[in-house]
Amino acid sequence: MATDLMDRLKILADGAKYDVSCSSSGSSRANSNGGIGSAASTGICHTWTSDGRCVSLLKILMTNRCIYDCAYCINRRSNDVQRVTLSPAEVAELTIGFYRRNYIEGLFLSTGVVRSADYTMELLIQAVRTLREQYRFNGYIHLKLVPGADPLLVQQAGLWADRVSVNLELPTRESLQLLAPDKSRDAVIQPMRQVSNLIVTNRAERKQSRKVPSFAPAGQSTQLIVGATGESDRQIVTLSEQLYQRLDLKRVYYSAFIPTVADTRLPARPEAPLRREHRLYQADWLLRYYGFSAHELLDEASPNLDSELDPKTGWALRHLELFPLEINRASYEELLRVPGVGVRSAQRIIQARRQGHLGIDDLTRLGIVMKRARYFITARGRYVGEIKLENSSLRSRLVDGPKQKRPVQLSLDLEQPVVDETASLITGEL
Amino acid sequence: MNCQYCYDGTLAGLLTLYARLLAERAVVERISVTPLDQQSLFNSEISISADQAVAETFWQRLTKRLSDNSLKLLRRCLLADHPQQELLIYHYLLLEAEQGRKIDGMLAHPQVAPVWKLSQQVAREAHRYLGFVRFQQLQGGLYYATIAPDHRILLLIGAHFAERFSDQQWVIHDQRHGEGILYDAEKKEWLLLPMEVTAQPDLTPEEAQFQELWRSYFSTLAIPERTNLKLQQGKVPLKTRSCLIEFTV
Repeated sequence: MATDLMDRLKILADGAKYDVSCSSSGSSRANSNGGIGSAASTGICHTWTSDGRCVSLLKILMTNRCIYDCAYCINRRSNDVQRVTLSPAEVAELTIGFYRRNYIEGLFLSTGVVRSADYTMELLIQAVRTLREQYRFNGYIHLKLVPGADPLLVQQAGLWADRVSVNLELPTRESLQLLAPDKSRDAVIQPMRQVSNLIVTNRAERKQSRKVPSFAPAGQSTQLIVGATGESDRQIVTLSEQLYQRLDLKRVYYSAFIPTVADTRLPARPEAPLRREHRLYQADWLLRYYGFSAHELLDEASPNLDSELDPKTGWALRHLELFPLEINRASYEELLRVPGVGVRSAQRIIQARRQGHLGIDDLTRLGIVMKRARYFITARGRYVGEIKLENSSLRSRLVDGPKQKRPVQLSLDLEQPVVDETASLITGEL
Repeated sequence: MNCQYCYDGTLAGLLTLYARLLAERAVVERISVTPLDQQSLFNSEISISADQAVAETFWQRLTKRLSDNSLKLLRRCLLADHPQQELLIYHYLLLEAEQGRKIDGMLAHPQVAPVWKLSQQVAREAHRYLGFVRFQQLQGGLYYATIAPDHRILLLIGAHFAERFSDQQWVIHDQRHGEGILYDAEKKEWLLLPMEVTAQPDLTPEEAQFQELWRSYFSTLAIPERTNLKLQQGKVPLKTRSCLIEFTV
């Protein structure tokens, strides 16, 4: 029985691993009524796999059987893989077993769609309910919503889980139509709208009375596949901005497309566009924490992010008239726009400069990384970039880094020296 | 002039030393626990023995004087395992005696920055170990975990585990520093005790199964097309892996 369970766990984990979301943050749940578990609002990573991704949740599918045939998905109906299922009780037992050993922070439960959306959604809810009621589990739970499920089931799901999510999968209606003909854009957007509304009303109700049970306290997230279809970064970043502003999403995840199944509708790629994915995440952070808007980062003239430079540095190079910035006078918002200065650094600069003007050495002591920042700031009027603030030379310096002066060994060559015209005795370049 | 001091290694000893040194604003070159290995010809260290009463009054005065932030900073530094932590803290306290609570904002000051950095290291490691503890179920129902952190972080993580696993008996054993936390599920209390290993832990059969499940789950989860061992090693340093089930065979 143990090996059977192990095989199924393997298959179902394999089917779920392309879902990127693994955060366990944003919810702070106390261990109530003598149960097990708690949720830490900062989130806790428990280990990292050999691809460098963190593991914080037990991420599995309930089943990899599926009635849909989405071109990008490993579990598509027409793909020839072994199909297995875990029962709600088995999911709960496995979660508790891992949790008690502190392997995980909670559960991420997704699934293929069996019979109907409603039936599948009910199975997921049953597993989560067993955990919460029978085991009195207070750890983190991330639940996938099945597109097309009844709104009442969506509401129930949010009451048991910390976070719920529906994957948008592809940035535009047309791409979705092409690669996932069984799913409609509206069936995906509709539950996202509903969850967004429910979160807003729940927040208001809980302000009135703390007794109202919280609905998806860690909010909702979604995921986009990058590089399977021809959208530009501008389309993707603008979409994310709208999702954050209009639907109040906590996170949008980007997943570099890795072909798991052959299909003529999909691009043949030798390598996953990992660099592009990385740049999109950087742009995403600029939207959420740095006060940037999508049109500042990308426009019609340059619809894709620079692969050589991070988006903030790219923005700064286009706006050199704003720099260098005197760190003793700049506002918090201005500091956030300096390449290399993050939220923590900006806060520390603001706090430290209340006790006196800061010099360059002070910045290093504060732990500010000067690699990129040095070209864009002055401290007490002093500029240490050692290079003129001018687009092309600054750009090449930022991409290649400053020329390294390597120490050269000065030694006596006892053999007959080979005369080299270019060598200079004075600089020691023998 | 004589600028080298040593104490008995206890907190009370250290606080007594601080009380004495701060009273006369002494210039200090070195504070150590054990006497110096090699004594130089012209210097000999002054040894100060613990005085419980002095230490207690000093600590009470300190908790009143310092802001919550500074206290948190010092508490973490006291738990650090760093060759110069006593001296760094002394320099911080010297500046505090001059400046009072203004010290909270003086992040770039050479007497503050190193203390902040050290406390940051300790806090970071403590947070990391919230995830890196691996309990093994022993015969008799005890959940036992070993860790080998750089700093003495047990006191910083105890409350987290006591809340999370309030219904299970557990022990977290810091093998590097020879101490551990024992949690009593009935009394809902935890204790920090000196600890050492005398025998191999006796695992339940169920435990071996879960370990196998976890290892196979962990290896399945990685996506081969994205392999990035350097990133992984930055996140899970080799020194931590001996205590992690998924990295041991």
